[in-house]
Amino acid sequence: MSQTEIILKAEGIHKSFGSVEVLKGISLEARKHDVISILGSSGSGKSTFLRCLNFLETPTSGKVTVHGNEILVRNGKPQNVRHIEEIRARLGMVFQQFNLWTHRTVLENVMEGPVQVKRQPKAEARDKAEALLKRVGLEERMGMYPSQLSGGQQQRVAIARALAMEPDAILFDEPTSALDPELVGEVLKVMQDLAAEGRTMIVVTHEMGFAREVSSEVVFLHEGRIAEQGPPEEMFTNPRTEVFERFIAKVM
Amino acid sequence: MNPIEIIAQYWPRLLDGTLMTIKLTFLGALIAALVSPGFALIRTHAAPLAQAPLRLYISFMRGTPILAQLFLIFYGSGQFRPILQDWGLWTFFRDPFNCALLAFALNSTAYQTEILRGGIMGVPQGEIEAAKAIGMTRFKTLRRVVFPHAYRIAWPALGNEVILLMKASALASVVTVFDIMGRTRQIFSRTFDFSIYLWAALIYLCITAIFVLIWRQAERRLSRHIEAHHKPRVAAQPAKEPQA
Repeated sequence: MSQTEIILKAEGIHKSFGSVEVLKGISLEARKHDVISILGSSGSGKSTFLRCLNFLETPTSGKVTVHGNEILVRNGKPQNVRHIEEIRARLGMVFQQFNLWTHRTVLENVMEGPVQVKRQPKAEARDKAEALLKRVGLEERMGMYPSQLSGGQQQRVAIARALAMEPDAILFDEPTSALDPELVGEVLKVMQDLAAEGRTMIVVTHEMGFAREVSSEVVFLHEGRIAEQGPPEEMFTNPRTEVFERFIAKVM
Repeated sequence: MNPIEIIAQYWPRLLDGTLMTIKLTFLGALIAALVSPGFALIRTHAAPLAQAPLRLYISFMRGTPILAQLFLIFYGSGQFRPILQDWGLWTFFRDPFNCALLAFALNSTAYQTEILRGGIMGVPQGEIEAAKAIGMTRFKTLRRVVFPHAYRIAWPALGNEVILLMKASALASVVTVFDIMGRTRQIFSRTFDFSIYLWAALIYLCITAIFVLIWRQAERRLSRHIEAHHKPRVAAQPAKEPQA
């Protein structure tokens, strides 16, 4: 591991829904410029884990630290709730279903966070939003509403929306799973560019190509635990565990 | 007298009644509109036990005739006059307009709360999550995401409620408020010409028609993003690929 700054640290994350324990103590560290792919079959808890990082799901216990904001959870109760919004503002999130605000235009969607959360002047937020939308290839769609865009375009807007907050890291929750196959590429392309420019990313995905070629680290979850973890090339060519070997045999 | 002569002679009174009806309806609906968002949030978010008093109130308001509610306030307050005087509230209850306004506001609050509750429950959950995920406070999330959607969803039903309230406001004439109905009855008792009732009906119809027109304009504004969806996409030029 290099000596770069730790952006996000999760320690011993447990999560139960009723009597079902979905996460059984997961720890993960993301350093600056890391691109971590989280893999796992459905029900392995990978999305739940990602949602615990920004407290869209409250862990049953564990600790999350982002930029000095530390939140300790015991018995499903976060100890310092005031840090939650701060952590969320520092972690961008891109959802499987895009979740754009349908009553706002593309441009307004991207401006919303900076204006409402970071209290940036509107003109400044607008300039930045326009630049970001240009980057994701949507400068001609700025005045449209999300319902007028294709899934791939919507997801690119969602990525621009996350970027507008200038986050320390971006969480991606199966960003291409809801897309028509021919639209997956345009979203992956944007994500690849982000990785190339050194963005810190944590990506829950089924895209093995992305995990293997773009990410710097792969985490494989199985039944609520990290079953295997390491550099992608090594893991994919030489799986150490049987469960991961079976997993890649199934999905590749 | 023929209908034209009647209206020619009595239009100032009818106009006065019309203004009273509008004032009563508008204020009643407005008070309810100010209170109901908070109540609706209690209905959607509070623990069942904490909701109990609110549910009781709503059941009562929806389950009893508005005329009974009006009598309860108007005649009931007379019964408790000494107490109300002690509390300094008698000046309020002495005026039949205030009693009617209170009855209508209480009644409409119950209905608007339930309508808005439905609207809030219809807000796409993913959009709320997106607001949270970007770091919005609860209050911001309500103001920027939840209520804009909830009002759009609830809008037609809310309009309906205002129309019903406007018509129900005719009951105020029973407790001596001179609204359209009050004036009409007054004029009828002098002329014994029932055509004045036709004029009254016509006025109610006009108010409703104008209201519906305004409400629909507002609805169109609230639903811009949905109408946009039904316009043909400007897909003539191919979607641009993202640039590096």
